[in-house]
Amino acid sequence: MHSSEEFAAMQLHFSETIDKLEKDLRRQTKIIQRSDHRQQKEYDELQQKYKEISVLSDEIEATQREVVFTMGAIGESRSKETGQHVKRVAEYSYLLATHYGLDETECEMLRQASPMHDIGKIAIPDAILNKPGRFDAAERKIMDTHAQLGFDLLQHSQRPLLKIAATVAYEHHEKYDGTGYPQGLKGEEIHIHGRITSLADVFDALGSPRVYKAAWEDDRIFQLLREERGKQFDPKLIDIFFTHLDKFLMIRDQFCDT
Amino acid sequence: MKNLSIAPTKYTPSINLDANTGIFEIIGKSYPENTFEFYQPMMEWVENYFSSEPQEQTTVNLEIIYFNSSSSKLFFDFFDIFDAKKSKHAICINWIYDAENENAEEAGEDFIEDFTDLKINLVVKDA
Repeated sequence: MHSSEEFAAMQLHFSETIDKLEKDLRRQTKIIQRSDHRQQKEYDELQQKYKEISVLSDEIEATQREVVFTMGAIGESRSKETGQHVKRVAEYSYLLATHYGLDETECEMLRQASPMHDIGKIAIPDAILNKPGRFDAAERKIMDTHAQLGFDLLQHSQRPLLKIAATVAYEHHEKYDGTGYPQGLKGEEIHIHGRITSLADVFDALGSPRVYKAAWEDDRIFQLLREERGKQFDPKLIDIFFTHLDKFLMIRDQFCDT
Repeated sequence: MKNLSIAPTKYTPSINLDANTGIFEIIGKSYPENTFEFYQPMMEWVENYFSSEPQEQTTVNLEIIYFNSSSSKLFFDFFDIFDAKKSKHAICINWIYDAENENAEEAGEDFIEDFTDLKINLVVKDA
């Protein structure tokens, strides 16, 4: 049996424990209320910041796209080609990249970079660039430097997009069988971005009038592409092209010159 | 008694408890994954400080920029230690925060409300 002192001590201990629990509970409730309030505020802020970043990022991307297209158009305009040409090359490249199996980000970057393939032409004299008729050997040699020149212009950039553009400028005249220029790369030594832009550019150029030639008929274009499968062009890309021919022709209609 | 010094991390504040001067400083962010585990050495150190030879005046400077809910709870427990010693020792707690830090301000007010007999100063730093 407990003595009355022991009992009183137990009572005291009990009431102290209850006090402590009540105090903890009161604090806990307050902490949770404050925390809920803060979470709400923090999440609101987060969403607001995210919105701001997303607007900025859209702005940056749009600016980048425009600058890139303008640069590409500068290269083209000096040779009397249209701004539509670079747009079509961009879309063809994107389509080829997608079906080749590159990931979406890379496809989108190539779409933006491929219009810069001829940027080196800004350093080619007008007399050669816009000469009607065929180039003589010396003129051809100068004309062919535009790939190297384009690469030289872009190669120092660390931006991923401009790095792709540098590759595309450098390698878009390489041929799958190794007979292209400026490096004479062969097969998959040529970067996929170079192989893709090469086909996109040639397909579009053949179907467009130039100072030195009329636009080719479709049948003649398709025949040449088939003949050059595995020679000038990556056979896989030629296969993709013919499998999805309707999509390529749709792009051509959508971005036509008139 | 040896001083306690813990370097700051991304989630935890710097802790400097000086037994010779009686000045305790906790500065930085406090949102570790296991708050009570992190602060356990500090809690034990403070208990030991009071049961050995504490300074006449003990000053606690807390400047917590960001803290999670369990840190709030921990600070209540931390202040409980001082609350139990306040009748025998001179203790002053400075809760320091930037003027625009509403969360820190509210927490400071909660502490004052809870510890009616403990000397807690809200110290606002001008931006």
